[in-house]
Amino acid sequence: MTDIKTSQDAITEVSEGKKLGQFFWRSWAIQDSWNYERQMNMGFLYGIAPTIDRCYPDADSDSEQMARKKEAYKRHMAFYNCTPQTSAFVLGLSASMEEEYARDPSAIDPDGINAMKTALMGPLSGIGDSFFQGTIRVIAFGLGVSLAQQGSFLGPVLAMVLSIVPSVLVTWFAAKLGYEGGAKYLDRLQGGAMEKVMYACGIVGLMAVGSMIATLIGATTPATFADGALVLQDVLDSIMPQMISLALTMAFYYLIKKNVKSGPLLLIAIIGGVALSALGVLA
Amino acid sequence: MNSLVSAILVGLVAVFCMLDSRLLGRMNFEQPLVGATLVGFALGDPGTGLAVGAATELVSMGLVSVGAAVPPDMVLGGIVAAAFACLTDASVETAMTIAIPIAVLGQLLGIVFRSVIAVLTHRADAAIAQGKFKTATNMHIVVGTILYSLMYFLPVFFAVLLGTDAVQAVVNLIPEWLSTGLNVSAMLLTAYGLALLLSLMLNKKMAAFLFLGFLLSSYLELSVTAVSLIAVCLAVVLLGVKYHDGDARVATAPADPDYDPLEDDE
Repeated sequence: MTDIKTSQDAITEVSEGKKLGQFFWRSWAIQDSWNYERQMNMGFLYGIAPTIDRCYPDADSDSEQMARKKEAYKRHMAFYNCTPQTSAFVLGLSASMEEEYARDPSAIDPDGINAMKTALMGPLSGIGDSFFQGTIRVIAFGLGVSLAQQGSFLGPVLAMVLSIVPSVLVTWFAAKLGYEGGAKYLDRLQGGAMEKVMYACGIVGLMAVGSMIATLIGATTPATFADGALVLQDVLDSIMPQMISLALTMAFYYLIKKNVKSGPLLLIAIIGGVALSALGVLA
Repeated sequence: MNSLVSAILVGLVAVFCMLDSRLLGRMNFEQPLVGATLVGFALGDPGTGLAVGAATELVSMGLVSVGAAVPPDMVLGGIVAAAFACLTDASVETAMTIAIPIAVLGQLLGIVFRSVIAVLTHRADAAIAQGKFKTATNMHIVVGTILYSLMYFLPVFFAVLLGTDAVQAVVNLIPEWLSTGLNVSAMLLTAYGLALLLSLMLNKKMAAFLFLGFLLSSYLELSVTAVSLIAVCLAVVLLGVKYHDGDARVATAPADPDYDPLEDDE
């Protein structure tokens, strides 16, 4: 185990305040390249990039570090979606895991980092969206509108103050708890305990993705037979709801495993979508 | 104030409001009440902007964006409605009806744009493979910012400069098969993104958990949050079985801090 600890002392350290500041701002900027394919993937990469850069400072001269740095960058290009404020927790925790992994590659299974991200993004966006979009926004702008209707500019100002304060507090403390909690628990979780945590993250992550397939895609078919007497979607729903969404995901999974390149797959998705819609197969 | 300057000013307000959800974690500057009021200030008629903002805000209050679904784009709608009310002395109600085609156009643009921008992800993939890490993160923070800004600036700029008839004409030009088709493309892209994630996580031994999560949401219509919490319980139980130790507390320790931050801050 000890012979792989080559990069132990190589990590460039900066103050924790500076790290937390980076998690804070970069969590807010996470939606800057939001896309349908992997959603906030590049936003997460942007957030964790300073950490990875610090973990592998000699990448330009050391080919082994370069390879591991590329691996780390690639790892964080995976699908990601979470409320920006609560996402700071995931970013902080991932950063502490990346540091641990850079210090001692045998301590953490790097696939576990993505499993952990996937396991957390479901519940944290559920809680984050309902807190910020469902609660804070409604209260702040409910008050704001009632003042604005009386012609008072205090309306929009009050609405913004009520929106900004919780957003700042949650983002800051989420980043702090994630990073410090990660550093604290990861030290304690060496050897067998880490394997158990990764197993648990794998279960939660996969179940969350399964649930996302059923809730985020929502593909249906408008096809009918026998002059509308037989609605295909009703038949499919009676067997298994969201069956088409599952089939589409599995089809793409199969193509990825067959090493079909991402360019053609992107074209299949965009042009195929328009074509299947025009042919009346999907809606 | 000539109409070119007005169009640029309103376009810039639109960019500022849009960057709120891109760069500031959706702090609510993008809400119509704020955007329309800012337009009022920019065009020298803050009172009208405030009135339009309050009216448009009420319309958008019920709309919460969830997952990949795109709600009517009231960011654009509110801003353009406020601009027309300030520039043409139209009533608040008239300005609101004007805002609807803009909202529709904004929604369509959003779908097309969020599909096309996936190309940046592939550029970044390629840059990482070549070790050009800065290029990869710039795809996000530089190119993403510029493209999203243009996506909001241009329609608002032209709408204010050319008038609503022009906007309506553009909306009418878009064939229905294309707009409905692009909705399906967005679904396929989401399926592709999830498949990519699975290609990193899935193995034969664990596949049953994927389907379990799917079935809980498809048959029982449980949310992702509900499924994740059930999954945590299931993982704790299975850890006890798999590792034959009654002490599952250590194994679940990392799951605890997940919930603390939110309980504290609420």
